Amino acid sequence: MNPAGDAIAAAALAAGATASWLRWLRVAQREHYLPGSVLRFTWRWWTATPVAAVLSVVAVAATVAAFFIPLLAVVVGLATLVGPPRLGIRGRTSKLAWTRRLRTLAAVSAGLLAILGALAAFTATPVALASVVVLLVPLAVDASSALLAPIELRASRSWVERATRRIERVRPQIVAITGSYGKTSTKQHLADLLAGETAVVPTPRSFNNRAGLARAINDNLADGTRVFIAEMGTYGPGEIRSMCAWCPPDVAVITAIGPVHLERFGTLERTLEAKSEITERARSVVLNVDDQRLAVLADELAGQARDVVRAGSSSPEADVRVEVVEGTWRVTVRGETVAHATQIPGIQAVNLACALAAAVALGFDPVGLAARISKVAPVANRLAVSTAPSGVLIVDDTYNSNPAGAAAALQVLASAPVTGRRVVVTPGMVELGRRQATENEAFAGASALLGATVLVVGRTNAKALEAGVQAHGGTSIGVTDRDSAVQWVRAELGPGDAVLYENDLPDHYP
Amino acid sequence: MGQVAVLFGGPAPEHDVSILTGLQAGRELVAAGRDPLAIYWTKTGGFVSVDPSSEAAAFLEGPPRDAEVLTLSVGPEGGFSAAGRLGRQRRLDVDAVVLCTHGGPGEDGSIQGALDLAGIRYTGPTVAGAAIGMDKLAFHALMAANAIPALPRVELNGVTDSVGFDGPYIVKPRFGGSSIGIDVVGDLATAKARLGANPHLGAGAVVEPYRPDLVDLQIAVRTFPTLQLSAIERPIRRDAGAEILDYADKYVGSEGMASAPRELPAAVSDDRRRAVLEAATRVASLCSVRGVTRIDFLEGEDGLFVNEINTIPGSLSRYLFIDPPVTFLSLLDDLVSEAMTSSAHHYVTTGADGTVLRAAGAIASKLA
Repeated sequence: MNPAGDAIAAAALAAGATASWLRWLRVAQREHYLPGSVLRFTWRWWTATPVAAVLSVVAVAATVAAFFIPLLAVVVGLATLVGPPRLGIRGRTSKLAWTRRLRTLAAVSAGLLAILGALAAFTATPVALASVVVLLVPLAVDASSALLAPIELRASRSWVERATRRIERVRPQIVAITGSYGKTSTKQHLADLLAGETAVVPTPRSFNNRAGLARAINDNLADGTRVFIAEMGTYGPGEIRSMCAWCPPDVAVITAIGPVHLERFGTLERTLEAKSEITERARSVVLNVDDQRLAVLADELAGQARDVVRAGSSSPEADVRVEVVEGTWRVTVRGETVAHATQIPGIQAVNLACALAAAVALGFDPVGLAARISKVAPVANRLAVSTAPSGVLIVDDTYNSNPAGAAAALQVLASAPVTGRRVVVTPGMVELGRRQATENEAFAGASALLGATVLVVGRTNAKALEAGVQAHGGTSIGVTDRDSAVQWVRAELGPGDAVLYENDLPDHYP
Repeated sequence: MGQVAVLFGGPAPEHDVSILTGLQAGRELVAAGRDPLAIYWTKTGGFVSVDPSSEAAAFLEGPPRDAEVLTLSVGPEGGFSAAGRLGRQRRLDVDAVVLCTHGGPGEDGSIQGALDLAGIRYTGPTVAGAAIGMDKLAFHALMAANAIPALPRVELNGVTDSVGFDGPYIVKPRFGGSSIGIDVVGDLATAKARLGANPHLGAGAVVEPYRPDLVDLQIAVRTFPTLQLSAIERPIRRDAGAEILDYADKYVGSEGMASAPRELPAAVSDDRRRAVLEAATRVASLCSVRGVTRIDFLEGEDGLFVNEINTIPGSLSRYLFIDPPVTFLSLLDDLVSEAMTSSAHHYVTTGADGTVLRAAGAIASKLA
């Protein structure tokens, strides 16, 4: 026994445990406290780079060695203090916020770790077992999330009850929108179309699960609101049905079915099934019939004598159709042409068609709506094209994260008037389940085919993206984060060049 | 000593710009080491305390994530309180509230009345002053009755069939704090059609002649320590062809009202300047101005017309007091001093001495 050595080891372990605990608390918060997510990210981070991998092996080896030479626990403490490299404690894009929920999680996980640490202290190999505990910090955070999940569900119930009372008091017409993509844009377009005509409130940008919807209603559904537009996302079957139980839509909209959140659904059929729950209670259903699966659903529902409004751009079946004809939008409602509108860059015709169809389903006059099309603004960072002061053409598709949208953005880059270089900056797309690697590889391949240089941001999808570029003999450059990519663009590109920013990942992704 | 609070937000169309005014005031007080309490009034009517150094973007999706729920209670022990330990309420010791609310219940007497009943001192207009300022029809009638020149302005409702002046017309919400909800229309039929369609006209509308030849002149008045008039400004429309000085002209910039384009001081003749000062002084008295108020005029070849009064102006009109210069901090300090020394309400119970009660006899016998 060496008291001084033990003290040094204990101090290093305490420092490492604290840093690690704060890091993984932040990841838990960013991942909506879903149990299992911290472990998934732990694996991602420790395998992201060779340095991280080496560091993790060293930490584990030092833990084993600490059973024989306790002082080696210092290595474990230092490894967890500095690693995984680049996963910040406070965060840059997504800062740690000490909300009530995080404080609870922090207290429970700290208590769990303290108990384990205290138990270790009473054994014959206290330092070595304490090292094991330090390595298990991510597990402790995840386990605490799991422990707290039922309690948090009960807490959120009171928010849902408040939201329910609010809806009953304000009594707006409710439009509920879901879809694998296009739902935020469609929601915003509908809000813009109705803004001059009635008091309309859309849910804020990213509030689309049960707790988020309840919060959006409690914070934003002001007295006097006539139309409330709720965006509803789903991670699994039953979720949308339960939201519709207390936020019952008058009009339900499904914008698209695609491979998003496949890691939770498994197949596109199951995705469609989960999204279809939104139609169950609605008076009218708006479906994007450009999407084959939704066209079939439209026929099914129409067969059950439901009120279905088909929306679309390319499909001639659409009741509300926004067709691109010679560079303008031709808007037809039930066979009648109501407007020839100037195209607005950054707005997809099919999303506009869904928004118009929802407004028509609410009972607004198509001609009056068509006159307001010019008021519809593209949603920020969703396929917006602009020219930077440096003369570089920028295609900004930062908030997109699905393959169809990425392909559309690449089309915009392809057709841009470029005399110099084309560059794609992307960390790739996530939450695509088993298709994640293939989809990223395909996107990078398509970029390379276009002759674009691909700047691979971070390590999350680096392998797949680089493989895709290589398959077509293109050039890829790896950068650590978005800021470095922007610096590269500033330094290397000038007038005549174009850059596509496709998706961005918060900094809790490697 | 308690804290000075800044209160902003509120269920109003001007909710967002009020956040800018409130955060500007909050930051100024923090910079001066005053430790202010920042109270955000949500769109659905709740009160929460937030970090006074918050950025505007933190309010994009509702209250910031670290907001703490407050309760406002009325009565002799009323005031703001937060949840304390063991479910008890912890009463906040607030000396005075700097009201930074624009439009809606923050500028029409509602919040003023609530604070009066809660026994909290506040800056800006009294219940009555706020109510007059928010009602464009009542304000206009008050001006007309006191021979202060104004353009014609009449009520517009579903049965209005003539207004006594020719189009084109400008239709405004009768109750409203800014240019939100204003429409320019060619004829009366179109004006009436807007009644049903424009959500801002639900509580009533007024109509006046649309005069593109007129330009805006604005002046601020503050009442403490003594009545003081600011320089005269001429706000500039960003879009030269725009019909009216719109909301975007005033507020869409980095700092809200404080960074809007303007000519300051406005180049006006001495006669016009005197006329503005004189009219502003009379308006201030007629409307029971308290705190800092901005009075908006329109000027043209045929004279000067008072247009409206903003009893809690954007950015508290801090940019208008340039001669002599008044810093934002001293403007805020004076507002707080005024709130502390002169009550916004005077409740009187003299006369309620029981005489009536003694003479009343049994209620039951009166009912039979």
